[in-house]
Amino acid sequence: MIFLRTKEVLPVEVRRLTRMALLTAIALAIFVAEAQLPAPVPIYGVKLGLANIVTVWAVFLLGPADAAMILLARVVLGCLATGQMMALLFSLGGGALCLLVSIPLSRVLTRKQMWVCSVAGAVAHNIGQILVAVAVTRTPELVVYLPVLLVSGIITGLFTGLCAQLLAGRLEFLLRLK
Amino acid sequence: MRSTRFWVLAVAGLLAASLLAAVLVYTSSPGGTVAEIVLDGEVIRTIDLETAQAETFVVQGESGTNTVQVEPGRIRVQCADCPDQVCVHQGWISDGTVPIVCLPNRLVIRITGGSHPGLDGVAG
Repeated sequence: MIFLRTKEVLPVEVRRLTRMALLTAIALAIFVAEAQLPAPVPIYGVKLGLANIVTVWAVFLLGPADAAMILLARVVLGCLATGQMMALLFSLGGGALCLLVSIPLSRVLTRKQMWVCSVAGAVAHNIGQILVAVAVTRTPELVVYLPVLLVSGIITGLFTGLCAQLLAGRLEFLLRLK
Repeated sequence: MRSTRFWVLAVAGLLAASLLAAVLVYTSSPGGTVAEIVLDGEVIRTIDLETAQAETFVVQGESGTNTVQVEPGRIRVQCADCPDQVCVHQGWISDGTVPIVCLPNRLVIRITGGSHPGLDGVAG
């Protein structure tokens, strides 16, 4: 991380862009690595969602605009990289609803409550996914998957949220790029 | 700012409610023996599993194919050319609890009691 030690002062926008690019690359690497793991349960949409550690962290420490751009770039590039273009639709629907819930929530939570934001985001993501699936297949019966997705979403959301919380104190140097 | 205790209770409550709903979905077994093959929202074929003969047929979806296998009393997707293979891993279904879904090909196989959709009581 030599560039962090430079004495040169970079323009604010360059710093911001660099930080977002770095976080997108981290999230993308996590996303692609996770996609290589076999599905734990034969239900579409059940996964760990480790890349959302970055999303939660960004929502809390960088603000809504940066978090949304990192998420959008990661989702589009991630689906291109894993070749699952169908998943793009679900990830966009889920991701949009997730941000819609977690951004206002992050304002009323303390740094020690980041996991709540992550759980709520995961739940919103699952609901968004199901809504897209119902719209795409025109099969309202797919709602029966929601409780199962919610159980998995709450547990994995808790895990990724706690990860983001633990990382929050250790990634201060990224904020100094402000 | 709510206390952490509040949020712990809220999340625990939500988890309990979801678990209960999930258990209800999987333990209730709505009757029905008529399998409907739904492609892109339209029923393309119905098979009464009670009187069905063993057969295999291919469904051509928008972005790929699914090979559906029927045996007396049960139905499954035998193989598919979608990337995730979720529908194949789900295996045989024989009642209306959970439909088989192949999202990439927009294929749904659900079992109903015929004219009454079996899941309405749960989903509605």
